[in-house]
Amino acid sequence: MINKSELKELLIMAMIAGRIMLKNGAETYRVEDTILRLCKSRMNIKYAETFVTTTGIFLTVEYGEDVISYTYRIKSRKIDLNKVAMVNDFSRRFVNSDMSIREGKSILGDIEKSTTYSKPINLLAGGASGGFFSLLFGGSFRDFVSAFIISLLLVGLIDFLDKKKFSFFIKNILGAMIITVLSIISIEIGIGESLNMVIIGSIMPLVPGVAITNAIRDSISEDFLSGVSRGIEALIIALSIAFGVGIVLRFYISFLGGVHNVYGQAISISSSFYNWLLHII
Amino acid sequence: MVKQFLLALVSTIGFCILFNVPRDSIFKAGIIGSIGWIVYISISDIFDSTVGGAFVGALTIGILGEIFARLFKKPATIFIIPGIIPLVPGAGSYYTMLAIIEKRYTDAANFGSETIFIALSISSGIIIASTISKSFRRRKAA
Repeated sequence: MINKSELKELLIMAMIAGRIMLKNGAETYRVEDTILRLCKSRMNIKYAETFVTTTGIFLTVEYGEDVISYTYRIKSRKIDLNKVAMVNDFSRRFVNSDMSIREGKSILGDIEKSTTYSKPINLLAGGASGGFFSLLFGGSFRDFVSAFIISLLLVGLIDFLDKKKFSFFIKNILGAMIITVLSIISIEIGIGESLNMVIIGSIMPLVPGVAITNAIRDSISEDFLSGVSRGIEALIIALSIAFGVGIVLRFYISFLGGVHNVYGQAISISSSFYNWLLHII
Repeated sequence: MVKQFLLALVSTIGFCILFNVPRDSIFKAGIIGSIGWIVYISISDIFDSTVGGAFVGALTIGILGEIFARLFKKPATIFIIPGIIPLVPGAGSYYTMLAIIEKRYTDAANFGSETIFIALSISSGIIIASTISKSFRRRKAA
């Protein structure tokens, strides 16, 4: 048996653990599971229940004569699977040993602050994923080079916008527009070969594949509320990417002649571009 | 085939770093991703259906992810999320959007429904794998 202030500490610690997991891309059921496990590990709690959605955590515990409840609102989400793994590890260790709650909290604090990869490696990885995806979908070596450079720049840009706390909608629209402009430029100056391949490769770091899959996964495992909210998030990300790419391509097609043969090799429109330039001058 | 395997490996590893997969699991997740990709393209070729291919590919990724999770004592998500990235219909959603802005609405409906079905089949593949693994765990516990 422990006293009430310790119980509070334990709840806050479970809450922090849940928050780290949810913010970094864990599934809803895993977050609920971890929180309950941490709560029930230390004392004879009569009743503990938690309700996790994508945007918040609610936790209520009944202990003796009291009912204590905590709410935490989650505003930004990203994917950092290392933190999920570390918290998972931590909860296993905490449950199976008699680590003090203060110690647990300091470990969680360290996990929250940790970074796994340095920035240059991150940028290079972004470039590699974009470039190799354009190869995987059938692009040529020249497409690879331009997709590599463009997605490297994109990852840097997203990082920067994250730091400035831009909303995810603006972030994706800006990202998609810049990708498309850069892809068109790369085709025009003759680095890239097929506009489609360059764009498809470079938007891969933005595409909400994980959000879509997690949304459907949550819904299938009966977490309908998180399923819906993740689904809406994915939908808005997809729409903003489509909007960003679409608006630039639309301008490109109507003002510069653009790509007519979309499914075969994109036709380089250098000649019409120069005509247009001459026309302006 | 070997070329496709290597390409999928490198791109999955790139995504692993973007998603901050722990250092010791990067290569394993990459292998899972490229095996999933190979299954996806082979099944799509044989049965002439990308949706079926995505389903079987995601199922393979899910099962391998659960096995790896058991072997290396890590949550299965670490292996599954980067693994499914090559299957995710990024190209499909791009073509849908392109068709819409070019006012080819029939094509847009074609690409769009295929994209949605691929997303559905990927997640149901993963769900089935994790359900199987959960039932195994329960049987062991009992």
